[in-house]
Amino acid sequence: MRRLRFYLAIMLGKLAGSMSRLFGRGKGAVLPGTVAGFLMPDLLSLLSGMVEKDVFVVTGTNGKTTVNRMICECLEREGEQVVCNRTGANLPAGVLSAFVEAAGFTGRLTADYACLEVDELAAEEILGQMKPDVVILTNIFRDQLDRSGEVDRTLERLEGALRLVKNAKVIYNGDDCLLRRIAIRCENPQAAYGIEETFCGEAFQSGNREGSFCWFCGSRLEYRRIQYGQLGDYRCPGCGFGRPEPRYTASDIRRLENWYSFALNGRPVLARTCSPYEVYNTLAAYSALRESQAPMGHFREGVAGFDYGNRREPVFLIGDSRVQLHLAKNPVGFQQKLALLAQDPEPKDLVFQINDEVPDGRDVSWLWDVEFERLLGTEVKTVVVTGSRRYDMEVRLKYENIPCLVSEELLKPIRELLRTGTGNLYVIVNYSGLYRTGRLLSKLRRTEKGEWRN
Amino acid sequence: MKWKLTIGCLYPELLNLYGDRGNVRCLEKRLLWRGMEAETVSFYAGECLDLSGVDILLLGGGSDREQAIAGRYLLENRKAIVRYVEENGVLLAVCGGYQLLGNDYRTEKGTLEGLRLLDIHTEWRPKRLTGNVILKSPLASSPVVGFENHGGRTFIKGARPFGRVIKGFGNTGDSGYEGVLYKNVIGTYLHGPLLSKNPELGDRLIGQALKQKYGAGVRLPPLSDEAEYRANRYMAVR
Repeated sequence: MRRLRFYLAIMLGKLAGSMSRLFGRGKGAVLPGTVAGFLMPDLLSLLSGMVEKDVFVVTGTNGKTTVNRMICECLEREGEQVVCNRTGANLPAGVLSAFVEAAGFTGRLTADYACLEVDELAAEEILGQMKPDVVILTNIFRDQLDRSGEVDRTLERLEGALRLVKNAKVIYNGDDCLLRRIAIRCENPQAAYGIEETFCGEAFQSGNREGSFCWFCGSRLEYRRIQYGQLGDYRCPGCGFGRPEPRYTASDIRRLENWYSFALNGRPVLARTCSPYEVYNTLAAYSALRESQAPMGHFREGVAGFDYGNRREPVFLIGDSRVQLHLAKNPVGFQQKLALLAQDPEPKDLVFQINDEVPDGRDVSWLWDVEFERLLGTEVKTVVVTGSRRYDMEVRLKYENIPCLVSEELLKPIRELLRTGTGNLYVIVNYSGLYRTGRLLSKLRRTEKGEWRN
Repeated sequence: MKWKLTIGCLYPELLNLYGDRGNVRCLEKRLLWRGMEAETVSFYAGECLDLSGVDILLLGGGSDREQAIAGRYLLENRKAIVRYVEENGVLLAVCGGYQLLGNDYRTEKGTLEGLRLLDIHTEWRPKRLTGNVILKSPLASSPVVGFENHGGRTFIKGARPFGRVIKGFGNTGDSGYEGVLYKNVIGTYLHGPLLSKNPELGDRLIGQALKQKYGAGVRLPPLSDEAEYRANRYMAVR
């Protein structure tokens, strides 16, 4: 009976995925898991148990999708078979979908590894059913406070999740004092990674830092080095709490045109990105692979050929214009994007799309945690704000003396800027607008005879 | 004479969870746009609190843990804050800061002592009250809009509320009222930040502070608040 149920769950789950793709209703990233999980609630535990070697789980606020994909692609380069939720569907149904889709119709799963990004707040539920070998914690920043309540709640939830998998190795960003706290409070075997030099420009930092005061004794943490957000080299003068000695490090970090060059535990790599936070992401993936003793013979090529934009943050050439789409869903992420834009010396136009749908968070107070004043003097010519909370964004910019145009829809102002703008357009959106806007830009490229590039 | 106000920001490293620096920005710009001067002074934990030069004091919100740390430092300076408020100093306290104005905050883990400026208190409940809020407040002719996210329920007893809840939870979820008013103090759960979409309130704080500093007869030239009211109306009518 249980066997029958198992086959049925997988079969109907897979069928639901195919139907969903066939009828173009989404990418089928969630439906298979929803259907299969409904029919067999412990399916995730069964399927993940069939993975031959290691199961990786990546969680944290920013960088989950990138780190997870990088681990997956590096393993695939070594000829391994990997289950992966690469589109970023990281709630329980999305994670289960990855397994259901990877299984055969007979319910057999042949996989060497599994790489799964997991939503921080859903980690408890997911790790209750799946026993990962390696858990990677990227960073914790304020994000979707209407879901989590406050940052400390997110930490507690992650600690709760780790208590369910005490044998899993925890690989964490030791430059993040919040993750250091989690590591100290959990019993798992663990290793930290960190960056040994200051490498981000001042533009990437912001005034707001999480956890400025020691979690254990309440003293103000002292920083010897700060990268961005609260990441850096911290120490508590009161109780000795501080940055751990990292087992994995990035050093000699250099920015070259559109590349970053750096060394991971002394071994040089090249990454095709302009964003300093990708150094952290690359280091996280490296640490996880090393710690799992996975084959890494082609790791360097893997990094050099990696698409950091994941096609969801592409660069389009539309007519004569260069159009970049960027995701910015929380203050630290947003500040990073603005810094990136400030590094570009060319005149530019800017479209902000701010929505408040459920995946974005229903509240936009956090826009005031972003230092938009850093846009002043960066050759920004025209700013357009759109999205359901465009008026909030208009007010936010007004209070930095940055004039903007408000538009109810997205297509018209983009068309207008393509015709009359600087030819260098940045479109910055929060989560719910990402895929829709990407599709819209692709369509524009086709109709305006541009070419796609990344 | 050029008018100038000093905005005091209490413990920004601890009480800054929710765009709280936005309220500072709103006050600064609304002064500057009127040709007045604005200076912002941040007070950091551990410093002795000298409020003698402060015209508007802001107390933001933090996580329960950070609020507890901030509370300890505030209590060390209780006298200075009580004197400031009793001498009609202007104070805006939001969320955690609002809770700290009262006698105490009883959480699951223990009781956090408050400043006892007002005879109100807060009790923690597991279900957080989260969502958009619309209030009718005696301080504003337009609806007051904002966002609340709090585990505490604040019981204001006989004190004057900041507003009547049109939409949202407010102080306790069932009292029908939000926030508290006392002398020149506003205590409220509303983020948004509060002053960004409710420009009348920002001007009210500025007006009170100017009156305190320069005496009656200071008139605030009007500003064009079209953008602010577009944002306000969008939240109020949707």
